[in-house]
Amino acid sequence: MTGLSRRTALAVGAGGAALALIGNIHSAVAAPKDAEADIAKFTGGKTAEKGKITIDLPEIAENGNTVPLTVSVDSPMTAESHVTDILVVADGNPRPGVATFHFTPLSGSAEATTRIRLATTQNIVVVAKTSDGKLYTGQKLVKVTIGGCGG
Amino acid sequence: MIFGLGRAAGIGLLAAIVTAPAIAAGPSKGEPAPLDMGEAAAARPWKRYGGWPKRDMSKFNTLAKHDVSPPGPTEPRKLPSPITGDPDKGAKLVADRSRGGSCLACHVMGQAGKADLPGNVGPDLSEIGNAGRDDEWLFNYVYDARVYNPETIMIPWGSHGLFNDEEIGHMVAFLKTLKAPAKFPTALDDPTKRPPPVETRDNLDPFVNEAMTAVERAETLFAAKGPSGSACVTCHADAKASFSSWAAHMPKWEPRLAKVMGVEEFITRHAKATTGATWLMQSDENLAMAVYLRHIANGEMLAVDTSSPEAKAAVERGKKLTTIKLGQLNLACMDCHSAEKGGLKWIRGQWLGEQRGQLDHFPTWRTSLLQIWDIRKRFQWCQVNIRADELPPDAKEYGDLELFLASANAGLKMNVPGIRH
Amino acid sequence: MAEKPRIKLPKTAKKGEVVQIKTLLSHTMESGQRKDASGNIIPRKIINKFACTFNDKPVFSADIEPAVAANPYMQFAARVEESGTFKFSWTDDDGTVTTAVEKITVS
Repeated sequence: MTGLSRRTALAVGAGGAALALIGNIHSAVAAPKDAEADIAKFTGGKTAEKGKITIDLPEIAENGNTVPLTVSVDSPMTAESHVTDILVVADGNPRPGVATFHFTPLSGSAEATTRIRLATTQNIVVVAKTSDGKLYTGQKLVKVTIGGCGG
Repeated sequence: MIFGLGRAAGIGLLAAIVTAPAIAAGPSKGEPAPLDMGEAAAARPWKRYGGWPKRDMSKFNTLAKHDVSPPGPTEPRKLPSPITGDPDKGAKLVADRSRGGSCLACHVMGQAGKADLPGNVGPDLSEIGNAGRDDEWLFNYVYDARVYNPETIMIPWGSHGLFNDEEIGHMVAFLKTLKAPAKFPTALDDPTKRPPPVETRDNLDPFVNEAMTAVERAETLFAAKGPSGSACVTCHADAKASFSSWAAHMPKWEPRLAKVMGVEEFITRHAKATTGATWLMQSDENLAMAVYLRHIANGEMLAVDTSSPEAKAAVERGKKLTTIKLGQLNLACMDCHSAEKGGLKWIRGQWLGEQRGQLDHFPTWRTSLLQIWDIRKRFQWCQVNIRADELPPDAKEYGDLELFLASANAGLKMNVPGIRH
Repeated sequence: MAEKPRIKLPKTAKKGEVVQIKTLLSHTMESGQRKDASGNIIPRKIINKFACTFNDKPVFSADIEPAVAANPYMQFAARVEESGTFKFSWTDDDGTVTTAVEKITVS
């Protein structure tokens, strides 16, 4: 077990959030080429085919701190044919990597839900790899709200 | 019995004499709940939360001091015409979010700020350059629009010291270049087409709402003995039975304090007087208990008691407070939260709600901050954001405001803890 | 005191059923990109790996970057063919591993 209790995490989180008010969390802007490099590393440089991927994200996120994301790939998820890996990148974050999900036939479904941080309005790019060596990709634009009263 | 937590200890509750509660008997009907009568229920001197902007706004009105801000002008400023400004500098200034949120917070302005989620509290200025306004008029409208329209909610950017004459001159030069409707990058960027946010998350699911951990925490606090040797459960064996609808009737006029007392202040004062626990407003313990006591009453309709003359007067004072111009931005609550003015419109990418619907989910989890906020902290944040000094959370003005807000939200069902951005 | 992760999955299922699993661990997920009030970078400290096995066979795992939000939430599915035990693990940057187990009865 980690030594970080829920209460400590909350307290630290609160302090951290307060700090975020002082300095911009993500001051740097990623060149989309960083995202491309992450994708190339995942695909081994091969081109992914568009389709089979569903990305569920809000069209507009009220803040970029905790944006719900579900990715799913249309796959029978059998021993013979299943999705093995899904890469998620955010092309406008200072570091584009978000997560890589790994699946097996025991997963039953090539679907995962998490919550992510987005620095600004940007594209979420998803690439999936299958057990028979196929690559699929999809992307979705998510707008991240700009606050009203400012600093 | 004396509770000796004074200023020396750095805690706001002054030493106070209270009657020892009849612990074994439990709460008796008709008897008012014991309250610690110390001067304050929150830290004194009040210190702004860490990480909040450190600004001294003492030259402007607060909810407690209404006659500090400079009066509006009676005559337009006379200026050498034409104004020489740099439209490129103006374009940057109208999008500068560091001084009050930028013009784009309230106005669509053509391609300024790449037309990225502008607001619509004020008129669309995309074609102001065709409107035939002279330089002096444009300058004065930015400097202090009250000279032309006393009812305006436009911020007095010049007379309240947010932008100097030269900067406003640049803005005027930029405004004169605006001659074509905005082209929005996406439909969502157009505030007239952007759908208002609807909160659909299951706020009572601990996988969704981290504030649900406060309920678990409070259950532990409720059973824990305080310095006096007793615990909440000593008198309230079954919290759910004791408080099944209690929070729906809060805040209330409290004659012993001669002010309106909300759930949070009650927790501080009642705990101090009974278990001896020090649960100052805004402490983790206080917030957890405040979430819990309202959570127990979820589903109950908000129904505050405004029958007494004192409560009626408090509601009237609270209502009046919502119209007082506050801070450097010179905004009253109603400027942003009544539909006749800025309410039900967009301030940049954020939707300004009306008063109704602003209370039933408090305390609420704020996903942008990973914090539980009670309604008093929300009041405080609004004020700091419009560049006014906030009051301590137990201030009587907040009590009046909360009672007014609760009466405006009567009939809505409690749903705590909420979850918001 | 260490906090237990939150896990939600059905206690029972039919053979071959695909069940949904929700997990949440309280953790700040310090991104390593923020600065404190004095302008110093706050060091990165995140959960960098999550894994779930069933009867010691891999079901689902995730390599996690700082762009995953605080209190990392993972929801995924599992196809169950037999009764058994799910094991969950969260790996922190500092090397500590938080673990949890849940049983399911399959009929």
